[in-house]
Amino acid sequence: MSIRPFYFIKESFKSFSKNWIISMAAITTVTLSLLVLGFFMLVAFTVNNWMNMTERKVEIVVFLNDGVPAESVQSLQSEIMSWNDDVRKVTYVSKDQALERLKKEFKGSDMLSMIEGNPLPASFEISLKDPAKADEIVKRLKGRSEIESIRHDKQTVERLINFTKMARWVGVIFAGLLAFAALVLIANAIRLAIYARRREIAIMRLVGASNWFIRWPFLLEGIIQGLVGAVIAIAILSVIRAAIEDNVKRLLAFLPTGLPSQSYWQLTFALVIAGIMIGAAGSALALRRFLRV
Amino acid sequence: MIKINNVTMKYKGAHSPAIKDINVDIDRGEFVFLVGPSGCGKSTFIRLLIRELIPTKGKIFIAGHDIANMRRGKVPQLRRNIGCVFQDYKLLPNKTAYENVAFALDVIGKPNRIIRAQVPEVLRLVGLEGKSESYPDELSGGEQQRVSIARAFVNRPAIILADEPTGNLDPATSGDIMSLFNKINRTGTTVLVATHDREMVDNMRKRVLALEGGTLIRDQQRGVYGYEE
Repeated sequence: MSIRPFYFIKESFKSFSKNWIISMAAITTVTLSLLVLGFFMLVAFTVNNWMNMTERKVEIVVFLNDGVPAESVQSLQSEIMSWNDDVRKVTYVSKDQALERLKKEFKGSDMLSMIEGNPLPASFEISLKDPAKADEIVKRLKGRSEIESIRHDKQTVERLINFTKMARWVGVIFAGLLAFAALVLIANAIRLAIYARRREIAIMRLVGASNWFIRWPFLLEGIIQGLVGAVIAIAILSVIRAAIEDNVKRLLAFLPTGLPSQSYWQLTFALVIAGIMIGAAGSALALRRFLRV
Repeated sequence: MIKINNVTMKYKGAHSPAIKDINVDIDRGEFVFLVGPSGCGKSTFIRLLIRELIPTKGKIFIAGHDIANMRRGKVPQLRRNIGCVFQDYKLLPNKTAYENVAFALDVIGKPNRIIRAQVPEVLRLVGLEGKSESYPDELSGGEQQRVSIARAFVNRPAIILADEPTGNLDPATSGDIMSLFNKINRTGTTVLVATHDREMVDNMRKRVLALEGGTLIRDQQRGVYGYEE
């Protein structure tokens, strides 16, 4: 059989113009579903990204006692570094460096004049590969004679982890429900298209049109509906993203917000694929039920 | 051409079979009437031949192919070799006579060049030159049936099956349609006509297969309709 894409596309659009109300409903539902999915994924990605960047800074700070000999400090650092399954980086901050930092941060304030000598302890700043492992690392370090105290911003990290997890799940569940609704609506639109063309289909079967020749226009129609829904969702999402980013930047100028453009393109691509899949699945459902060829 | 071996067809949920243990051989180029009262299994017989139905038991061969065990993807190929004509014509109302016939070639992927050559030719053969731009509702019943025959024959199938082709037509028009089938038969095409048109069958003196209650009760060369009313 010669392949005539023009024929299929023409048939798909003809059918769309006939049943445009039901098709619009199907497209709108695809859009909603992907919008919800995209929005929650965007939030999860952004928070995750922000977390990654902050994690990379410092997670656990280990303050050392004054007067610990340099060799012990050295051996402690190499020990922590040897836990390289969990630990990304260990930085030693000497007493002098700590003071320098403080001076820099409070430049121009008269607070520094009140400090005599150097009351600041030396410390290790540890960043982790997986922030969830922080507790374990803290446990391992506790009770050592070199260590004065350990600071670990446990709650913030945990809250962020839970928040991204929840955002992802909420997104997936709501989007899944909406996607199912979209699938059913597309199947319904395709069913109407099949019904409208039942005479032609009967004759096509009778004269021996191949099964795929009969199926293609309907499959294509569903895919187009899914695709259009996805494109609209992506357009709305990019507007939302721009608006949020502007506001967040204004409010929290010091935070690294936003998403690397690579992840954004991956998300866009995923949404397009999801739209196409919903469309194809919807028409496949209708074809199975209503078009026994 | 058509070989039916011990075929039984029982519909799902029916308590008795629609076709019972039938054996028939039809050679290439034969003209055969399939007769019998309504509900005797004529339509089931035809639907078995185009593999709209699969026999419960037995085998059907068409041009040597076992169609009961045919892969689904091969069915279109089978149907391209069988032209079908029905009592209700099955024409598309929004297409002209020409377009209705061309549609059959178009959807099996024939190039336009062939469509432009074959459609006018087959319309001439069925006696519809000059009506090719008419829509079905502008044509008489007999003319509509001619369009439907043209569509069945345009791809030059080896077999033409007709299910009550004159059921909606007056006797004179029916005669014209039957002579058209005769004409097609003389090109070497095997023709099988299911009918309960007594007069027609008695006049034409062709081979007659008589069905009753799903059983083949008679297979007669140069036969007659033969049922008592």
